[in-house]
Amino acid sequence: MAETAPERSSPSSGPSGRRVLVIGLGNRLRRDDAAGLELARALRDRAGEAGIVVREHEGETLGLLEEWEGVEAVVLVDAVSSGVAPGTLRRMDGSVDPIPTHFRSSSSTHAVGLSDAIELARALGRLPARVVVFGIEGRCFDAGCGLSEDVRAAIAPLAERVLGEAHELISR
Amino acid sequence: MSEGRRTRVIRTDYLARVEGEGAMYVRLDGREVVDVKLRIYEPPRFFEALLRGRAFTEAPDITARICGICPIAYQMSAVRAMEDACGVKIDEGPLRDLRRLIYCGEWIESHSLHVYMLHAPDFLGYPGALEMARDHREIVEQGLRMKKAGNALMTVVGGREVHPINVRVGGFYRAPSAAQLRSLQDPLERARETALQTVRWAATLPFPDVECAPEHVALSDPGRYPIDLGRIHSDRGLDIAPSGFDEHFVEEHVEHSNALHARIRERGSYLTGPLARYALCSQALRPLALEAAREAGLGPVCRNPFQSIIVRAVELVQACDEALALIAAYEEPDAPAVEITPRHAVGHGATEAPRGMIYHRYEIDEEGTILDARIVPPTSQNQLVIEEDLRAVVERGLDLSDEELSLRCEQAIRNHDPCISCATHFLELTVDRGRDGA
Repeated sequence: MAETAPERSSPSSGPSGRRVLVIGLGNRLRRDDAAGLELARALRDRAGEAGIVVREHEGETLGLLEEWEGVEAVVLVDAVSSGVAPGTLRRMDGSVDPIPTHFRSSSSTHAVGLSDAIELARALGRLPARVVVFGIEGRCFDAGCGLSEDVRAAIAPLAERVLGEAHELISR
Repeated sequence: MSEGRRTRVIRTDYLARVEGEGAMYVRLDGREVVDVKLRIYEPPRFFEALLRGRAFTEAPDITARICGICPIAYQMSAVRAMEDACGVKIDEGPLRDLRRLIYCGEWIESHSLHVYMLHAPDFLGYPGALEMARDHREIVEQGLRMKKAGNALMTVVGGREVHPINVRVGGFYRAPSAAQLRSLQDPLERARETALQTVRWAATLPFPDVECAPEHVALSDPGRYPIDLGRIHSDRGLDIAPSGFDEHFVEEHVEHSNALHARIRERGSYLTGPLARYALCSQALRPLALEAAREAGLGPVCRNPFQSIIVRAVELVQACDEALALIAAYEEPDAPAVEITPRHAVGHGATEAPRGMIYHRYEIDEEGTILDARIVPPTSQNQLVIEEDLRAVVERGLDLSDEELSLRCEQAIRNHDPCISCATHFLELTVDRGRDGA
């Protein structure tokens, strides 16, 4: 199909035999909500490093259960609104326990929120063994395109940190 | 205030299992319902402004991003409107068949999500799909399998399942091969079987005794169940081409919602979506779907909005069966698209999104630049009927506790699968001192 179709093949294995999927989530028409997508885009050129595949996910969250099928470890990057400085990165490990309750009971506006999708996958035995969620604090979620300046400035260093996590998940 | 005149307020500031952002407010004075409001936080008309000044060829891709659940509905309405403006008709032939096919994929995907994940918990008594999965794993697994079949169809025809990139004004960038489509037959046959079981299962659910009689509005496509084109008609005599939309429908701002409310001029509220399509077009269902509807006990019109889950299941059978027929008959088109030359004109397009009719109108100049855009999504059309349903539900449920009544009201809203467009993913955190904080 058209040239911009995202990579759909399964990630090839890294040196340890593990595969890691990095998924950026968001909506490009709601300003900083696109932070996760922009981070994934920043990492796209780095995809292809052994065992790491980067994807952008703009649809409803239950589609993630198909997205991560057969993958051992997944890193999810989404925008967050918590009142801390825009551009701040927060890391949560959802591998064993649900991500914190106040995160779960958020007003995520999709029919099924990210944390619910993770818990549903866990209940059905469809969750990768390792799940790390990164939240990027946004400033503005109004209708419109383009990230706030401070969020945009944070993307490149945050992308390095997310990539570091992916490497660690492969070698662990 | 005497006990009999006690004021009760039922409100939900966040509606779970509704696509988008919304809230509900119901005020009772004694046993009298004095106020019912569905508040929708829809960024007002942002997309229409975004479209002005862009090329007419960009409309399908831009509008696809309005909704993560029904991108095809936006794309198909946009391409129909642009082709109408340019004086081109794709009303028959393999390109139209491909459009119906990808639209079937969206119906399967969207209805599966709603029937199994969002609506079923209301009837089985769970707060959501997650809690339901612990006791009814098979229902959730069925939903995921059905959704996957729809996604596969959208991926093969559309290039990818969310925001398909293969749709363009005039047709497609590339037509799928017959072999690619044949690969979808097995999963679609299984999905059709699951859909038939789902109709039977849905018919056994407990439904509150509610009857509503809105004016039903749907497209009419002689001999076919409406999906991708047709005249706009209603069960109170409306029968117009999409170009007559403005003459017969009006959208108004109301104070409590920043979404526009649509009404039929001089008559008022109306309903679009599965219940309206079924009421107006059930005779055009494929025999398998019609038989399933009859076996489930549905008459020619379904007036209980809670039973919309049965009608959606019937439409799942319809979409799977139609997709299989289109695949069986598919021959690759000579060209994936017809060439379109822009001209200064206004074009109209109306199609049937899973949750109801959607109307687009564009004015473009001779270069094809968009001068004006108007998009009327299903939920803004259904909003008044949803409020009327809420009123009916409250009036019949006065003896329920506030908690029970609140839940019943939320269910009444979910009956219509409202999609409050331009949703965000962002997670609102009011406390951020968690144990795993970085």
